[in-house]
Amino acid sequence: MKNILILCAFLLLSLKLMAISDAGMMLKGNKAYKEGMFSQAIACYQEVLKKGVASAELYYNLGNACFKSNDIPSAILYYEKAKKLHPDNENIDFNLKVANSKIADKIEQVPQLFIKRWWTALFNLLSLDSLAVLSIASFVLFLVLVSIFLFVSPLWVRKIAFWSSASFLLLSVSSFLIAQRKHHALIAQKEAIVFTPAVTVKSSPDENSVDLFVVHEGAKVMLLDTIGTWQEIRIGNGSEGWIKAVDTRRI
Amino acid sequence: MKKYLIFGILIISFIGRLAAQEVQFTGSVSSVVETGEQFRLTYSLNSNGSNFIGPAIQNFLVLAGPSQSSSSSVQYINGRVMQSSTISFSFILQAVQPGTYTLPPASIIVNGKKMQSNSVSIKVVKGSGNSSPGNSKNMPAAGGNLSENDVFLKAVPSNSNPLQGEQITVTYKLYTCLPVSMSGIDKIPSYQGFWSQDLLKEKDKFAQYNEDINGQKYIVAEIRKVALFPQKNGKLVIDPLQVTIVAQLQKKAKRNSFNDPLFDNLFDDSFFGSSVQNVQKILRSNAISIDVKPLPALNRPADFSGAVGSFTFTPFIDRTTLKANEALTLRFTITGKGNLNLIEKPAIIFPPDFESYDPKIIDNISSSASGVSGSRTFEYLVIPRNAGEYTIKPVSFSYFDIGRNTYVRLQSPQYTIWVQRGESTDPLSNNRGTDQEDIKYLGNDIRYIHIGPVQLSKQGDFFFGSTLFYLLLLLPALLFSIIALVWKNQMKKRSDIAFMRNKKATQIATSRLRKAKTHLTAAQQEIFYNEISLALWGYMSDKFNLRLSELSTESVHEALHQKHVNEEIIDQFTETLHHCEYARFAPGDKSTIMEQIYNEALNIITKIEHELK
Repeated sequence: MKNILILCAFLLLSLKLMAISDAGMMLKGNKAYKEGMFSQAIACYQEVLKKGVASAELYYNLGNACFKSNDIPSAILYYEKAKKLHPDNENIDFNLKVANSKIADKIEQVPQLFIKRWWTALFNLLSLDSLAVLSIASFVLFLVLVSIFLFVSPLWVRKIAFWSSASFLLLSVSSFLIAQRKHHALIAQKEAIVFTPAVTVKSSPDENSVDLFVVHEGAKVMLLDTIGTWQEIRIGNGSEGWIKAVDTRRI
Repeated sequence: MKKYLIFGILIISFIGRLAAQEVQFTGSVSSVVETGEQFRLTYSLNSNGSNFIGPAIQNFLVLAGPSQSSSSSVQYINGRVMQSSTISFSFILQAVQPGTYTLPPASIIVNGKKMQSNSVSIKVVKGSGNSSPGNSKNMPAAGGNLSENDVFLKAVPSNSNPLQGEQITVTYKLYTCLPVSMSGIDKIPSYQGFWSQDLLKEKDKFAQYNEDINGQKYIVAEIRKVALFPQKNGKLVIDPLQVTIVAQLQKKAKRNSFNDPLFDNLFDDSFFGSSVQNVQKILRSNAISIDVKPLPALNRPADFSGAVGSFTFTPFIDRTTLKANEALTLRFTITGKGNLNLIEKPAIIFPPDFESYDPKIIDNISSSASGVSGSRTFEYLVIPRNAGEYTIKPVSFSYFDIGRNTYVRLQSPQYTIWVQRGESTDPLSNNRGTDQEDIKYLGNDIRYIHIGPVQLSKQGDFFFGSTLFYLLLLLPALLFSIIALVWKNQMKKRSDIAFMRNKKATQIATSRLRKAKTHLTAAQQEIFYNEISLALWGYMSDKFNLRLSELSTESVHEALHQKHVNEEIIDQFTETLHHCEYARFAPGDKSTIMEQIYNEALNIITKIEHELK
């Protein structure tokens, strides 16, 4: 029994120490960035990533360091990764916009239907974890209100409790569903950034097929399908085609 | 423009055709020719001959020939008579392809004997194509025997191993031992990899001096001098310079006796026996290879922009106190020797509120035979637009000092400028309301990195979907169901007790009343009343699930009222309770009163029971 306790304590301590060393490495990267040694900062941040941990801030800082050392495609990739974790961060959006203004391709976005725009805005309003917390909190509130409805006698209190509990239930369920979709999107990695300076997009997964158009490094593409080493992509203006998977890196 | 150099050089040529003669048949040609160049191939025989058969000439264009010319002379020396005659056969050829070619021997029959000449070899190099047939018209028919050693051009670098940016000079020297006139420079090298500047002005006289090479006396003229500044390191090659000269081949012929009518050749037009031949020749200098060393990377200042030499840096400001909208002049003068033309404007950051213009560059650069020197001045005109105190940060200039072999960084002082409010005609305060300026964006950059604590979590590991998430979701639900269940149970239990009490209330009350009846005697009136009041209160307590401590006439009244019991009956009940209290102490026949109260109590309970049903 005592041994197990000691083991547990040791495990906890080592976990804590690991966390500290990662944070320390990140601080080291920040320091290098401050001093203008961007390649060193990149190395530090990558070191942290290699340990299998991540955060939106880490991706953001890494994106900044890449941007400063003129590696725009990597900067965009990391900004996109950061944005995926923290869709509501203004700084990430700003820097992503600046980085996107430096790439060769200017891809006009297809105007979306207002409902879709709203949906996207709603989808990006909160991060996954915030949605999870919201879902739990509104569910708890729902239960509390149901209790009030059940156990409190004045009629008007019970009326209020009933309707508000119903709306909280709705909130909880919808945030749960959104979170589920988001979670799926995060894990599936359905988007990618082009890393080869210029890629010819083909009409079919075959070298001999017709050349459709050319995308340049830094362009963001949607991944639709995969056949062997080929990937079907869609760019922001709606054009679709096939490129080699090695030309891209998934967000 | 044509310039003529005249060198008075006398050549005494001994014509080796004297004394005991041996028959010679020789072919001669200039050993190196350029493609496109016209040259002469001559076979000469110092005797009489016939049936000249020329060589099979391939790879060359035969423009003319064979043309025969003959000369003969008779000389008296110390009483001896010497007679000589020469026959020469010449071809005018044009070279086509570069390469080395050998022409087979020519043959001739002399005194019935066949003689063979030597075979000649000609090396053809790639030419500039300058020697067009038009040029050759000027060229008098010449002997073509101007040797390589008579006139040549040499390029001499002052330093063939300079640092990048270091000034070197290349001098082109014309060596000659003949009178020569230069008709012009045909081809100036491109000086690839260098920044070049001519040092000799056209009007300047060429420096001339004598020089001995291998015992041969030459007159040397510096025809061109160039200052070169290497722009990159590594091996750089300077192409040859090409000039065309006309040399005067002067032959002092022997005064011949008058008895020989063919004493001179056809073109000899000189008086008193000397002959001058104008020979045109294209001269090419040697190509120079310059090995440029890179500047040391050690201690290189960040603002170094390639200035190499020795310089001084003089900053100047015309005033430091002025009014808004007045102009201010800043001048930075760099004086010295080196690649002044390549010095770029110093990086000055003026306060953003200053209106500044590109600097005026005033050059005072002179190139003399010793190199390029002088000064370059950058004059900045700035106009402060608003009042205030401003600083202009120190301006620095860095160069590599050749003499000291180090980088030198010179700096101007920091200037503080006090700008007072401008003229009242253009007061700033009036402007503010009407003429607002937009905010000027000076640059565009990404935002700074996130500093501060960061919550690192495992990649691909999210709170959503984790066990904790579902636990937190299910736990309240579980808790809620437990609470609800317990509550419900409690409610059930409580309602059960009340029901039982309610059901048994009448039963208990009647049993109590029955007990009271046994004590209807006066002696036991205390117990009787006690039982009666217990029966009544107890009944109420059981019926309405009230605790004993809560019992009072008011609470009973209320409880009954709630059950919609007739008001009359309620009053009756409270009356009975009062009677019961009073009767204990009331005088009179106790037994009848007790009897009466007993009936009353029994009556009221029955009534309430009836009412509640």
